[in-house]
Amino acid sequence: MEKKDKFLEENEHLMSDHDYDGIRELNNPMPTWWRYLFYATIVFSAVYMFRYHVFGDDLQIEEYNKEMALAEANKPKPTFDENSLVLMTDATNIAAGKAIFDKNCVACHATLGEGNAIGPNLTDDYWLNGGSLNDVYKIIKEGKPLKGMLAWQNQLSPEQMLQVSSYVMSLHGTNPPNAKAAEGELYKPEK
Amino acid sequence: METQHFSYDNKIVKYFAYATILWGVVGMLVGLLAALQLAFPIFNFKLAYTTFGRIRPIHTNAVIFAFVGNGIFAAVYYSLQRLLKARMFSDKLSWVHFWGWQAIIVSAAITFVLGITTSKEYAELEWPIDIAITIIWVVFGWNMFGTILRRRADHLYVSIWFYIATFVTVAVLHIGNSIEIPYSWLHSYPVYAGVQDALVQWWYGHNAVAFFLTTPYLGLMYYFLPKAANRPVYSYRLSIIHFWALVFLYIWAGPHHLLYTALPDWAQSLGVVFSIMLIAPSWGGMFNGLLTLRGAWDKVRDNATLKFMVVAVTAYGMSTFEGPMMSLKWVNSLTHYTDWNIAHVHIGALGWNGFLTFGMLYYLFPKMWKTKLYSEKLANAHFWIGTLGIIFYALPLYWGAIVQTLMWKEFTPDGLLAYPNFLETITQILPMYHVRILGGLLYFVGLFLMVYNLLKTAASGKCADNEEASAPALVTSSKRARGEGLHRWLERRPVQFMVLATIAILIGGAFEIIPTYLVKSNIPTIESVKPYTPLELEGRDIYIREGCNTCHTQMIRPFRSETERYGEYSKAGELVYNHPHLWGSKRTGPDLAREGVPGGKMYKTNVWHYNHLLDPQKMNAQSIMPAYPWLIKDDLDTSNTSAKIRAMIKLGVPYDKAPYPANYDLVAHDDMKKQAEEISADLKKNGVEVASEKEIIAVIAYLQRLGRDISVKE
Repeated sequence: MEKKDKFLEENEHLMSDHDYDGIRELNNPMPTWWRYLFYATIVFSAVYMFRYHVFGDDLQIEEYNKEMALAEANKPKPTFDENSLVLMTDATNIAAGKAIFDKNCVACHATLGEGNAIGPNLTDDYWLNGGSLNDVYKIIKEGKPLKGMLAWQNQLSPEQMLQVSSYVMSLHGTNPPNAKAAEGELYKPEK
Repeated sequence: METQHFSYDNKIVKYFAYATILWGVVGMLVGLLAALQLAFPIFNFKLAYTTFGRIRPIHTNAVIFAFVGNGIFAAVYYSLQRLLKARMFSDKLSWVHFWGWQAIIVSAAITFVLGITTSKEYAELEWPIDIAITIIWVVFGWNMFGTILRRRADHLYVSIWFYIATFVTVAVLHIGNSIEIPYSWLHSYPVYAGVQDALVQWWYGHNAVAFFLTTPYLGLMYYFLPKAANRPVYSYRLSIIHFWALVFLYIWAGPHHLLYTALPDWAQSLGVVFSIMLIAPSWGGMFNGLLTLRGAWDKVRDNATLKFMVVAVTAYGMSTFEGPMMSLKWVNSLTHYTDWNIAHVHIGALGWNGFLTFGMLYYLFPKMWKTKLYSEKLANAHFWIGTLGIIFYALPLYWGAIVQTLMWKEFTPDGLLAYPNFLETITQILPMYHVRILGGLLYFVGLFLMVYNLLKTAASGKCADNEEASAPALVTSSKRARGEGLHRWLERRPVQFMVLATIAILIGGAFEIIPTYLVKSNIPTIESVKPYTPLELEGRDIYIREGCNTCHTQMIRPFRSETERYGEYSKAGELVYNHPHLWGSKRTGPDLAREGVPGGKMYKTNVWHYNHLLDPQKMNAQSIMPAYPWLIKDDLDTSNTSAKIRAMIKLGVPYDKAPYPANYDLVAHDDMKKQAEEISADLKKNGVEVASEKEIIAVIAYLQRLGRDISVKE
């Protein structure tokens, strides 16, 4: 060897007599911190199994039920009676309704509510599911999934649904170009 | 003692090394294509053969079984001979092994392109290829054990312990997970269904990582790292403890892939705790590797082989800490189904397996060709570009995963999902997918530099196909010598060693899998759950063929954020007829477990499905889903329907009991026709003319059935 290998000299006392194709092995002890890490994970495991499967801490379904109950308790209630709605007419709420409409509804009812291949015209006198504010609110809220209308209560708050319902009502009689042919029944508002 | 003269077979090592390089290039190129497809759907080319659902298994299988597989064999054939002072047991077996394995790889690529797949991750190959794998694997084991039994070195070195554990465990896993009933020459159904199928699959899948990507590579590291550094292994005792702890504990950890699913809680908890207990044994390997370099760090500075190995071992340490953390349920509730998993496995694949392979190849080529590396500079460039590649690959995906999972889980103050449209959460992280392509590209450029460098190296030298060697004949005794440690004795007894290793790896699997079968309460029966109709069954098989499960999960976890988005969480009893299960592991698209519940949150009309499958971008310009126009062109192949029904009956699906008529396998065609015509009529009513014989009708039928059986809103 060209020069002495200081490392090997220092470790000579730890050298085993093993020799595999020139590979030697040292008899260093296992690092202490490594041993304690291993013990700690074993203790963690024992505690974990006892906690959930002996002492009965919440498993995933209990955990879920609690999460749902908490969400239900915190859910904002509608500030109005959903059975006798009052049309919103102020500019702020109508503008908010329009924003919701533009984001969610135009794919099927077109930009001006004139309808397209998927959804009906919302501006004429004919309605598939009734034309009162309560009817419109209900169909927005609960949808008609089999016909392709989503239930928006999963995505919009009661207030937002009322805003967009009111906006839809405001479209009545606007006679947009390219309006889809009438579908459903003629609806005459009760005076 | 007489000195015996023999030679090492270098030719077989050379072939495996070349195959490693070739498949590395192929596997990573396909990976690049997959990354492009996820960012730009146009790269699916609107062709059945090249859609992501078929490309992704080609990428994963090519990297795991072709690139790393050949890397394992190159390492084993090189190191085993030298550690045992013996030529491989049989040259004939070596060559059957080599060509058999390459033939399996080619047949895998062909069948995946054709959509012939079992859908089970990393076990997608169909039954004839499964049998071929079993045979070739036995050939490998036979050759290895033959060599061990004819050795001239008394004790087995730690590398060989890992090779033995690899051999027995992969055999057990592969056979256990591939028990399936064929219904045609290229297709089969697994004997397991639903929860049981998922458990067996991830017992396999997790341990494919453990015993194909980890243990053989630890063996590789234990040989090539001390060799390249010319340093003794740090601690023999640590080798013993971390070896046995690793092989015993690893097997139990499979259920951590199924946390918060319909798998029974006790099995999930075992998956959690055994993953946590794996940290120390895994790190034992990392530290034994890194501490072996004590006093040799100056060599690391100017030796590319060692540089690659240091980063590889460090990546191993990172991955094996990250994995257990992801197995904690609250972490898993965030990371599962996201790109975090993708980043995690690439730290392992690119860092640990890739870099260790590169390190080995940079060591092997000059050694075997008896020359110097063509360019140390290029190798260093490869190292830095490759490292940058890993960083640019993984970091964007980690970031994207966090962004997306938080979007999935966010609620507005009104108690509504903040991002009810799944697509928004994909569009948000799309830039991350773009950066990931750059990462993959860098890594590939590095690989390319290596190919050039190694070919030049080989050209400058000459590889002796048979390397002369000599060693004294082995004189051994089965008795324990006085003062000989128990393990030291065991290292001289390969058969006993293998038996012990086999017992160690069988315990965990048996403990988890057997009760899931025998204890009824693990899978409570749900009366309303019925078998699929023949048309739905055919549609399901198309879903499998196209690899829809690659991007769409069918397992809603019991979280408010998931049940609000998708509907009721999935239950074990719903899945009893699902041969195979289709839970998936990644949500690149929304979960489909409740897709068919009328009035449900995910419900779509038949027309919607038709238009969406035909051209997803037309419905949502931002969508990254591939188009499936051939489903509308191609007629449904019903030639196997009867055989499928018969296979299902054998598996316990009650098509042979009331209300099904006798000989339902034959009557099934009438049922199928009737249902197809109903769907076709509904489409027509809504303005779409498509014949009832087309494949898309079956796919729609299947999608509309999903999650329906337990829905209360019928």
